Amino acid sequence: MNTAADILFGGLFQGSLYAMMAVGLALVWTTIGVFNFSHGVFMMLGAYLAWQFVAWGLPAYVAFPLAVAVMAGAGWLLQATVVRPLIGRANLVLVVVITTLAAGSLIENGALVVWGPRSKQVPPLLEGNIALGGIGVSLHQIAIIVITPIILAALWFFLTRTRLGLALRAVAQNEDASRLVGLNVTMLYALAFGIAAALAALAGIFLGGYRFMTPVMGADPLLKALIVVVFGGISSISGPIFAAYVIGFFEAICSYYFGLYWTPALLFAALILTLMVKPEGLFTSGRSRGLA
Amino acid sequence: MLDVAGLVAGYGRVTVLGGISMQAGGFGNVGLFGPNGHGKTTLLRAVSGLLKPRGGSIRFDGEDITGLSPRAIVGKGLIHVPQGNTLFPDLTIADCLALGAYSPRARPHEAANQEKVLALFPKLRERWRQRVRTLSGGERQMVSIGTALMSHPKLLVLDEPTLGLAPKIKDELCRSVLDISKSGVPLIVVEQDVEFLLELSKHLYFINHGQMETEIKPGESLAHSDIMAMYFGH
Amino acid sequence: MSAAELTDAQDRRAPAGAAPVGPGRLPWRREAVAMLVGFAVLALLPFVFTDSYSRHVLIMVFIYAVVASNWDLSLGYGGVFNFGHIALFGIGVYAYSLLTKLAGMDPWIAMAAGGVSAVVAAVAVTIPILRLKGIYIILVTFGFAQLVMQVIISQSEYTGGTQGLVRIPTLYVFDHNMVRDAKFAYFYIALGLLVLSTVFLRAFVRSRAGISIVALRDNEEYAVSRGISLVRQRLITLAASAFFTGVAGAFYAAYQRNASVEVFGMSLATIILSMVLLGGTGTIYGAIIAAFVLTVFSEAMADFGAWRPMITAVLILVVMLAYPGGIFGMLKSATGVFSRRWSPPS
Repeated sequence: MNTAADILFGGLFQGSLYAMMAVGLALVWTTIGVFNFSHGVFMMLGAYLAWQFVAWGLPAYVAFPLAVAVMAGAGWLLQATVVRPLIGRANLVLVVVITTLAAGSLIENGALVVWGPRSKQVPPLLEGNIALGGIGVSLHQIAIIVITPIILAALWFFLTRTRLGLALRAVAQNEDASRLVGLNVTMLYALAFGIAAALAALAGIFLGGYRFMTPVMGADPLLKALIVVVFGGISSISGPIFAAYVIGFFEAICSYYFGLYWTPALLFAALILTLMVKPEGLFTSGRSRGLA
Repeated sequence: MLDVAGLVAGYGRVTVLGGISMQAGGFGNVGLFGPNGHGKTTLLRAVSGLLKPRGGSIRFDGEDITGLSPRAIVGKGLIHVPQGNTLFPDLTIADCLALGAYSPRARPHEAANQEKVLALFPKLRERWRQRVRTLSGGERQMVSIGTALMSHPKLLVLDEPTLGLAPKIKDELCRSVLDISKSGVPLIVVEQDVEFLLELSKHLYFINHGQMETEIKPGESLAHSDIMAMYFGH
Repeated sequence: MSAAELTDAQDRRAPAGAAPVGPGRLPWRREAVAMLVGFAVLALLPFVFTDSYSRHVLIMVFIYAVVASNWDLSLGYGGVFNFGHIALFGIGVYAYSLLTKLAGMDPWIAMAAGGVSAVVAAVAVTIPILRLKGIYIILVTFGFAQLVMQVIISQSEYTGGTQGLVRIPTLYVFDHNMVRDAKFAYFYIALGLLVLSTVFLRAFVRSRAGISIVALRDNEEYAVSRGISLVRQRLITLAASAFFTGVAGAFYAAYQRNASVEVFGMSLATIILSMVLLGGTGTIYGAIIAAFVLTVFSEAMADFGAWRPMITAVLILVVMLAYPGGIFGMLKSATGVFSRRWSPPS
């Protein structure tokens, strides 16, 4: 009973965090066709901003949304400075990898200068613990498990049921045709980056209320998000969401039976097997955005 | 309505259009023809703002639109249906038509335009929730043109609408294009099929080497042999 | 048509200005003379810089230059985004450390073994990416680097885990004292490594194999239909880019006398990748020049402490945004020394 509860709970919790991160990566990839390697740094910065706002005396319910909003702006700023000017270059994907890595390094070291290396923690969403299925669980984690699907559903609704969401998907598929129906491609690129950064910041606040924060806290979630989008395929939003939970459960099961050290190795082995069988990812319908 | 004067445009180091001029929309449809790779598509891309002109001017409805963004140009009612009908492969027909009415200018007319499009292409109603990638070439072209009509065009630009279609489908589509023209929307049509162009318009331009080589004004007659002579040299 | 005929066709008909042909179009005699002059100048540097700090900076330049220019082979010429390249360097570091420290192997043999280990690892990582394209290659190779690091951390009884290894046996040259010569001997070993690696890389990219991998990069379907084997060429490319990378790792371990998992980290990967891209891909020399510029720049910033990585990041951003052709392209357009025919792919 305890085993099942442990795995179920661990899988849902990790899956939620991975989904929040991976969806942003996938959104930027499908819209602009680049990978944002500063996505993990966005997560870190979101968490630190939330901490800073709380330290200035703002209540959490103001500080958290404010941090998310500021990060949406930061996402817009990043794409305007290190992505947008490069659109049209022959080796765009590669150049953006390096510019986003460099921008990430800039922000990461900036955070180190501003906040120092000492670990910090943001207040949890909910205080306290409860016993569920024989194991002790913090309410903060329960809150994350509940809130994440709601946010992802809202994002899905936005992308599929609103005209602006429709426009975002259209830009992903055909930029010229999008211009010819009068879409503002520049604004839509900025929007995709803004949403992605906001989601990353939220993931950072979730994680920062659970573990201690450091300026390098985004590196591992970024790696996991990359693995998730490979599993899930990068051409849709639902694929990575499913894959995030699958990987969350995979990790929960592996670390329960094989221990924490072997989990990354097993995960990578599973990843390679998946790609050898289905090079386009597990949950794809066949379409993929070609690499420039 | 559209007045292009001395337009220069190209890609990278290559200049495709070396000072081209044309008028359209004022008195009926205009047809463009000429060999491939001589600037027809480049001219249309420059007119719709996809390609920034290097020189010359484009005026539409009395306003200078040279160098404006495609969005601004769509906002003025100059709508371009590009070649190849690739459109949005993973959107449904319903999605595409909704996107067509994206600009504020087209939004109020959305319902009425949708009725018109579905009357013109009844097939689209049957496939309403189907993704574009699953449609046939002819159906995709219908979605392309339908999406453009949703943008409430004052002047509609079609780049080789019948390219690569089977003869029967092509005839059907040509009739639909004639219907659009009769409904009062002036057209600029690029076509290799000069017979179709002549049916559509009495005002043709022959583009060769990035230049308007010959202009055939309404009233001037044009024999098949003349066209052959244009393509293959005098 | 074979690769040989392709070579002939390209030799007869020099490509037009912007043709994206990577391999050197400069006559090989002229290139050999230029290379000789360049390395002769480098070989004289220890007589100008006699202090051990300057020599240390130059040794680091040479190590980075080897790693970056080999990365340029797979990335710039092969068009394979091997983000595990830095792991090949790390494998060289750990292969040398473990073989000398635990197995008591002769350091020079262990250095070669470091290169061989990296080649084996490169072949292992190539197999899963053979069918993949573009971004998926980045993700799998990136994952591979992380995997290697995790395995090393988990086997802490041998590798020291996150603590790393110290007091690693170093190289010897007869009974020359390696410690008291102000890094004189290390300098020449590092330079020798760079010379061997560079000659190998330039010869490789000018060979038929080099031209065929560029053909695959530029038009995979056409190249395959001309009889070039994607599988074989990709394996050759990655294996070729691995050997000197692994040897450089082994030398790095011997020189630093310690090993830590930081060699797998993102910060080192970012720096080296910046060298490849800043230098201008598909040139080999570009990466070497950029390694020099970035390392010296970074050392000059040593007084800025925590600001140093930020300044470096800004430098990378500025160059990437302002000069699409990288430093090499910048030098070329500034001097016009190299003929226009010899242009790296943009």
